[in-house]
Amino acid sequence: MKFAVGDRIPEWVMPSVSPQRMCTMAAILRDPNPLHWDRAAVDSLPFGLGKRTINQGPLGLSYMINMLHAWAGPHCLRRIIMRFPQVVLDGECVIARGKINALREDQGVALADCNIWLEHAQRGILLEGTATVVLPM
Amino acid sequence: MSVKPIPAASEITRLEGHRFPGGFYTVAHWENFLLTECTGAALLPEGIVHPVALFHLPIVGAGTSIAEMFALGQAESDLSIMIESYDWETFLPLREETRYCINGSITSAQRCANAQGKLYDRLQFCFEVHTPEQVLAARTTIAWHYTRNTL
Repeated sequence: MKFAVGDRIPEWVMPSVSPQRMCTMAAILRDPNPLHWDRAAVDSLPFGLGKRTINQGPLGLSYMINMLHAWAGPHCLRRIIMRFPQVVLDGECVIARGKINALREDQGVALADCNIWLEHAQRGILLEGTATVVLPM
Repeated sequence: MSVKPIPAASEITRLEGHRFPGGFYTVAHWENFLLTECTGAALLPEGIVHPVALFHLPIVGAGTSIAEMFALGQAESDLSIMIESYDWETFLPLREETRYCINGSITSAQRCANAQGKLYDRLQFCFEVHTPEQVLAARTTIAWHYTRNTL
């Protein structure tokens, strides 16, 4: 495979963020925050989100990891730094996207520094950050 | 919901350097299966743990919990925590049924104000995950904002 700065990473789509998966995740993470499993708690916040649940930050991040794995393989992730400008809500369709920002070599390993983000068709960028990925030979 | 008083800044800043007890964590196959399913991906090959585990594995393995991390910063409520950033570095893929050794601490604790002048406290946690052979496998840094009187 050939890689170049500016190349787009093939996108990864989560067609509908699942509230059931948030519940499973909350149990595994031992996460007491009701925002992830109690729609009434979210509705009570002064943010106008309605009766929805809010996806765990690591789950939104995982969609971008899935994109990177599909592109460069299951061993590819070196580093991921993520910020969370907007929440991800249950039922939303979100798309992980990214592009190569720089190419370099470290101790004989080819690396790509990428900008990555999670996008919603109406609300724009929900999560954004950078990833360093080992490129396949 | 009752509003808790804002803690003194000194009660926050003195958290810097706080060390968690440390300990061990093993990701069982069932746990990796469920975690991976939650992400919408297929199970990774060769017993590789989905990197989404880099959130809770270090926290629980270091002998703490999300609830305790909320409590240390005197969170107003579970709803008042905002994520600033997660920084996950992986040096080796994590594998199922491997007993990782984890240590963690609070590396920064500051009283801050946002652009509107509202106070919040910023805590940064750092965890290191070592293999049974004492090789550093991963490092995670979590920065949370403990918002005050906003709900």
